[in-house]
Amino acid sequence: MPPSVEEATRALREIDAIKVRAAGFQDYRAESDQLLLWGAAHALGFALSGLFPAFILLIWLLVVPISMGAGRLLARRAASEIPGIGWRYLVIIGAIFSYMVLIHVVMWPLSPEQGSMVAPLFVSALYVMRGVQMRPRYLFIGLWLSILLMTGFLFFQPVFWWWMTVVYGGSFIAFGLWLRRL
Amino acid sequence: MQTPNEIIHQPIRLKIMAALNTLAAGQWLEFVSLKSIVDTTDGNLGAHLNTLEGAQYVLIKKDFAGKKPRTRVCLSAKGREAFAGYIAALHAILALETLDPDASGSHATNSSPDNNR
Repeated sequence: MPPSVEEATRALREIDAIKVRAAGFQDYRAESDQLLLWGAAHALGFALSGLFPAFILLIWLLVVPISMGAGRLLARRAASEIPGIGWRYLVIIGAIFSYMVLIHVVMWPLSPEQGSMVAPLFVSALYVMRGVQMRPRYLFIGLWLSILLMTGFLFFQPVFWWWMTVVYGGSFIAFGLWLRRL
Repeated sequence: MQTPNEIIHQPIRLKIMAALNTLAAGQWLEFVSLKSIVDTTDGNLGAHLNTLEGAQYVLIKKDFAGKKPRTRVCLSAKGREAFAGYIAALHAILALETLDPDASGSHATNSSPDNNR
C-alpha cells in the first residue's frame, strides 16, 4: 500500500536531513585529519623555535613543506572524488604561506614573536569565516584560536614559544579529536 | 501507483540508505561513523544492516585496522538502484497529489507502512 502524501513528504525531508548530516560528518572527519597533522606540525615548529631561535626560518622552511606534503596525501585520501584535490590543497596552504611571507616583507622589521602570529591569526580568521558560512564548529575553533593567540602574545611573552607549542598546537590536536565526534 | 520499497521505507533503514547513498560508488563507511550519522544504537543498526544485507542492498566487510576489529558498510549497485527507485516513488506520490489533491485523503486513510520490519 502506498504511503500518504504526508509520509512521502516526511521521508524526503528525512533524506535531506541525513544528506546534510552525512556531508557535515565527512567534512569534519577530513578536517579532523588536517587539524591533527597541523597541530603536531605547529607544536614541533614552535618547540624547535623556542629551543633554537637562531634557526627559526630554517625550521619553518622544513616544517611547513613537509606538513604540506603530508596534508596533501590526507586530502587526497579524504576526498579522492574531487578532481584536482591535491593541487587545490597545495594552492590553499601555499596561499596562506605566501600571505605570511608578503606580510613579513611589508611590515618588516618584525620580531620573531610578531612574525609567528601572522599565519595563525590568518588561519583563525579563515576558520571564523568558514564557520559562519558552513559549519558552526569552525566558528568556535576560529574564535578560540584567536583568543589563545592574543592571550599568549599579550600576557605570556616570557614563555611565548612554549605557549604556542602547548596551547596553540595542542588546541589544534584537541579540536581534531573533537571533530571526530559528531 | 508505484509502491515505495517496503524494506527501505522503515525509518532507520531509510536513514542508513540515505547516508550510504551520499558516498561515491564503492566507498565504504565505518560502522561507528554510520551509527553517529543515523543516531541509533549498535544493536539496532546491526539488525537493520542485516535486513539490508539480506536484500543485497548493502555490503558488509569485517576486518582489522591494526589490532582493532572494524566493520565497514557500502551501498551495493542494487541498493543504489533501489534507493533511486524509492525516491522516484515518493516524488510520484507528491506529483500525483499536485495533479489530484483529492487523492491524498484516500492515501492517508489506506496507508499502513511496515515500520517494524
